[in-house]
Amino acid sequence: MERTGAEQTRPQGQARQRISTLRWSVYVAMLLTAAAWGFILLDGDSGFGDLFRERTWQNAGRFVAGLAGAGTDGASSFAQPGRWLETGRLALNTLAMSVLAMGIAGGGALALLMPGARTVSDGTLGGSPSRAGRGVYAAVRVFYMLTRAIPELVWAMLIVFFLSPGILPGALALGIHNLGIVGRLTSEVVENLDPAPARALRAAGASGPKVLLYGVFPQALPMFLTFLLYRWEVVIRTTVVVGFLNAGGLGREFRLRMSWFHYDEVGLLLAWYLLLVVAVDVLSAQLRRRVRWE
Amino acid sequence: MRQRLETWLTGPRLLTLGIVGALAWSLSRVEWQQPIAHTGGGAAALQVLLALFPPELSGEFLRICVVASWHTMAYAVAGMSLAVLLGLPLGVLASGVLAERQSAGRRVAAASVRLLLAAMRSVHELVWALLFVAAVGLSPMAAILAMAIPYAGILGRIYAELLQDVPSEPIAALKTTGASPLRVLLYGYLPMALPDLLSYTFYRLECGIRAAAIMSFVGIDGIGFQIELSLADLLFRQVWTLLIFLVALVVAVDWWSTRVRRSLAY
Repeated sequence: MERTGAEQTRPQGQARQRISTLRWSVYVAMLLTAAAWGFILLDGDSGFGDLFRERTWQNAGRFVAGLAGAGTDGASSFAQPGRWLETGRLALNTLAMSVLAMGIAGGGALALLMPGARTVSDGTLGGSPSRAGRGVYAAVRVFYMLTRAIPELVWAMLIVFFLSPGILPGALALGIHNLGIVGRLTSEVVENLDPAPARALRAAGASGPKVLLYGVFPQALPMFLTFLLYRWEVVIRTTVVVGFLNAGGLGREFRLRMSWFHYDEVGLLLAWYLLLVVAVDVLSAQLRRRVRWE
Repeated sequence: MRQRLETWLTGPRLLTLGIVGALAWSLSRVEWQQPIAHTGGGAAALQVLLALFPPELSGEFLRICVVASWHTMAYAVAGMSLAVLLGLPLGVLASGVLAERQSAGRRVAAASVRLLLAAMRSVHELVWALLFVAAVGLSPMAAILAMAIPYAGILGRIYAELLQDVPSEPIAALKTTGASPLRVLLYGYLPMALPDLLSYTFYRLECGIRAAAIMSFVGIDGIGFQIELSLADLLFRQVWTLLIFLVALVVAVDWWSTRVRRSLAY
């Protein structure tokens, strides 16, 4: 929030341009919102009117009661320890999928850490700038942009086309999308870190890997791990969605039970899902605190 | 021996071991006994790749792409606006800035709103969508609501944090003039936090586009829906065109939100 002296004396033209950007953006946003709602409400059956009908809410109530196990023939899934165990195995698969996805995203981001940072290719971190380095930098950034722009679920749709069902295609889809996100963030950390240690190492004759190991990693690693842990919290929520596409874990079962109207089973799967989400949130918060202390 | 192990197993080493262990465990749960790729998966992959040259560019299909992009954009904007409408009041309540003095009751109220926000964002928007479709039926409104709930949960949490980060001196000055909590909110907290609030909202819009694109999964029209249709018909050239439209849409919104955020930065 602090303003430095240099920023206060920013030329007035720039300030004016910032304000005009802001003004047209707010107008465009307002126009878009109006157009979107106008389109949705006027274009045929939006379902808006249904929200105010009593029958809709009766159905919703019956559905929620069904999730809790009402209206099932025999004992509901919640009352059967065997069902808890079986669905628990699926929950473990889902957890494994999320960990594997983070491994793919993290490993990829680490491998592309140096080529993806502008300060490496333009020689700020020591070494000589080269055209090849700049080309690789641009290629890595475009790769990040593409993997980030395509949602996990679309990646999964494409991947289940080639790979056998299981947690691997799901983890791959999640991993690729998150590689784009984590990779870009980490490269930006490398670009913003203090170049002095790396330059000193380079000047002392250290090889490339040594500069990476002693000049870049110690500064960048805590932030990298923090990003990874934040994304893990998002990924565990998304594993279920990717699982819808035959990718194993809770998601597949969830979708099947949903289409068979086994709502008590859906409720049980939801319970496991929420348990996983809360557990990962807590674990990630703990680990993030540890990482920052080091 | 045990003591030596304990001194060796500290901080970074423990973390490294933990990460390696977790990865090894996750790999052990992959079904390795079956072949990794389908029979014919490699051939299919090649076919998909070759379909990029060139992608489907007929005027008729491009019209479908434009309409699908507009649907995705419209659902994203509608969902986001609803999320802001829900998230802002919840965020204000969760931040506790409305309370005149701290009391146990107020703190419990703020904590329960925070719990509500956490519950809203702990379920992915597509899971909400499936639940809504089962509960109230398939309609664009159900999809918009499904998207708005987790997004409101995230926005509310961040809004609350931003409101709490507002510098305290101007607030104290306002309070000494005898302004009511509502006035302090309207003339103190909100104007001061506005740049950050707007900035984060615009950042989320980019995620909203991707979320709206995959809402197709419950049958809402948009880019994801068209991708699903084309994949089902094995029309890979169309898939490429749609992917190009999706990337262009996301990149355009990303560019816009970056510009807005840069113009809002101090």
